[in-house]
Amino acid sequence: MDFWLSYLTLAAIYVLLGLSTNLLVGIAGIFSVSQAAVFGVGAYIVSYLLMNDLTSFLPAMLVASAFCVLLNVLVTLPALRVSGDYFVVTSFGIQLLATAIFTNWTAGTGGANGLPGIPPADLFGKTLDDSKQLVALCLGAMVLGCVAFWLIMRAPFGRLLRAIREDELAVAAAGKNVLRAKVSAAAMAGAFAGSAGGLYATFLSFIDPSSFDLDSSILLLTMVVVGGARTLAGSIVGPFLLLALPQVLSLIDIPTTIAAAARQLIYGVLLIAFMLFRPQGLAGEKL
Amino acid sequence: MSEYLTASGLEVSFGGLRALQDCSFTVERGRITCLVGPNGAGKTTIFNVITGFLRPDSGTVSFQGTPLDGLKPQAIVAAGIARTFQNLRLFVDLTALDNVVVALPAQAGEEPLAAIFRPLHVARTQQSRRAEAMRILDHVGLATRAGEFVRNLSYGEQKLLTVARGLATGAELLLLDEPASGLSASALEQIMALLRRLQTEGKTLLVVEHNTRVVQQIADEVLFLHQGHLMARGTPEQIVGDPALAEIYFGGVI
Amino acid sequence: MLALQLLCNGLATGCALGVVAVTFSLVYSTTKLFHVAHAGVFTLGGYLAWSLTSRGAPFLLAFVVAIAVCAATGALIQALLYARLERRHATHLVILIASLGMLAVMQNIIAAVYTPNILQFTLPWASQVVAGGGSVRLTVIQVLIVAASVAAYGGLMWFAHHTILGKQMRAVASNPFLAEITRLRPRRVHVYVMAIASAVVSVPGVLVPVDLGLQPYNGVTPLLTATIAMIAGGVGSITGAFVLAIAIAELQNLSLLIIPGEWSIGITFFIFLIFMLFRPTGLFAAVR
Repeated sequence: MDFWLSYLTLAAIYVLLGLSTNLLVGIAGIFSVSQAAVFGVGAYIVSYLLMNDLTSFLPAMLVASAFCVLLNVLVTLPALRVSGDYFVVTSFGIQLLATAIFTNWTAGTGGANGLPGIPPADLFGKTLDDSKQLVALCLGAMVLGCVAFWLIMRAPFGRLLRAIREDELAVAAAGKNVLRAKVSAAAMAGAFAGSAGGLYATFLSFIDPSSFDLDSSILLLTMVVVGGARTLAGSIVGPFLLLALPQVLSLIDIPTTIAAAARQLIYGVLLIAFMLFRPQGLAGEKL
Repeated sequence: MSEYLTASGLEVSFGGLRALQDCSFTVERGRITCLVGPNGAGKTTIFNVITGFLRPDSGTVSFQGTPLDGLKPQAIVAAGIARTFQNLRLFVDLTALDNVVVALPAQAGEEPLAAIFRPLHVARTQQSRRAEAMRILDHVGLATRAGEFVRNLSYGEQKLLTVARGLATGAELLLLDEPASGLSASALEQIMALLRRLQTEGKTLLVVEHNTRVVQQIADEVLFLHQGHLMARGTPEQIVGDPALAEIYFGGVI
Repeated sequence: MLALQLLCNGLATGCALGVVAVTFSLVYSTTKLFHVAHAGVFTLGGYLAWSLTSRGAPFLLAFVVAIAVCAATGALIQALLYARLERRHATHLVILIASLGMLAVMQNIIAAVYTPNILQFTLPWASQVVAGGGSVRLTVIQVLIVAASVAAYGGLMWFAHHTILGKQMRAVASNPFLAEITRLRPRRVHVYVMAIASAVVSVPGVLVPVDLGLQPYNGVTPLLTATIAMIAGGVGSITGAFVLAIAIAELQNLSLLIIPGEWSIGITFFIFLIFMLFRPTGLFAAVR
């Protein structure tokens, strides 16, 4: 029972990340390998605020989300103004730099050993340390995220982003500010990823840099690619499936030294296979 | 007499290729002006410069007295100039109606926060926008095809849609890049009628066109471009009837 | 003097990075693809050479085999993956993701086969000191890296300016507008470019690990630095990429005087930030 609750909670958190990555990569068409970095920033900020008793859970989440929004805007605005390929370099740089900071800034992030003892979330004065309550919290956040995503995509903003993905030039010729739309999408993606980070930190009560590295960003991309780009369904299917993968793999006898490499290898194969044979993923639209 | 749209001394080079050389011309308000010339003369380049997609090496473009130099494409649209593309560039995965709605100026819900926190307001304004778009589609003669995806429209209908998209921006000066090319006879009639109708409604049109018959039928004035430079201007009869220009257009080396 | 030693080390690292930058730039200018998997090819070369030398093969043979296999790998990636996607009119995003997938596949196959731990070459001649004066020491391998890298740079420059293929590539790079309308981009050119770039990048791919050791994920950071060098030097400029790579490596090394080594990525990123904000087209851009 505990395993299923754990899986469900984690899946809910990763759905938020899936929505985030889908907004950025699937909908706005921006290649990003730095989503895990933003996820990490959210996690570390909430952890810091809660561990030092500075605020309660909800304000901490708000601060983390706001910070991640700002981070994404600052990163995408100057880079996208130049070109999409330029942003690829920026994204790699941000991810590697974030990992370096998470690993080496021991004073702030606990360094490579991470931050243990993160207090649990609290809502309206009540501490949520029961696993069932945590599942409810994360599922609730997931539902909120899905509703927000759905509203965005139904609105003119969603239509504008779809048009941009098809033909940026024509959109600019129609008088719309393409850059602002993309940066707005990135900002929203930041909010989703930052919130996911906060939930992750209080759920596991321990975080370390290995959850927020380049490999994790690749996993997030794989979730969107497999689940399907640009749809709500794809953002849900991808995380649920890919989080089940390690369980499936544990049935096969893989030596622990290469278990992580085996997982990442599968993600790589999935990325290539889906791009070649099914770019719309399982439940999405063609990338 | 009004300085509606003026270009002076435009110079554009791509590497070693001089696309525009000291190109200057004026377009008068309320007229249909046709831009003609052999391939590679620089017609589309002029469009790109006017609409802000290309910065000229030197020279300026002014619209109603204000220079357009350095303005971003969306600012130029806001100033009242819209264009169509030779290769259409329609949003294939959207319906005809949505193609027009996207081009309508400033809408609520175009940025995410309003979409999330004021969904009802956004939905209401969407309704009025869709009505507006329907009016425009009706105006160009596509009302019955509003719900169709672009890939299901005929080529002639797609061309009408590009004009509708340009109208949706609210522009008073429309730059049309070969609106009549590749059309059947009936579609041709339809689009020419539309262009004349737009003129009577006060729009100014600058049209790139290769079809001399179309030029003769709709143009008030013709600008003949060659090697990036304005070579001649006059009425359709003057330009089309000039043997030297015909030599350049049909037989000359670019 | 420490600074001088750092400068020498930086020269070796910089030249190696320069080759990565130049080869990446070659692919990017011609195919317009951000070939992230280039880092995988770079890594592959080193491991192949190690496999052979640790089984007793002479170093030169291992080196040549590595170059050949890397060339073939690059060509195959282009022909079987990128070309196929391009034929289906895939967007750049799709190809980028495929390239990233290929990188993950390559790195992790290597990690699975050779374990993620650091491996060292056992070549006693490599770490012999060749030049030294007081506290400055240059090893054989460092000199070899500089020599091979400069030779690679020179070779690629000659290739770009004196062969038909090279000229085609330069034409595409400097005049994308013309390339667009004259369709100067036959598929075969792309395969050759990828083969050549992959072959040449395996030169530092083999030599650098002789100096610093092998690790499956060590290709990403050099690639990032190399792309920044390419951008800072100006896309399409071979010399620009090479020179800037050396400059960045020197700055990184000199920064060790003030800040700890783990933060070197910060230096690189800072340089990138400067260029992004003030001169995104780079110093020697071929395109306006």
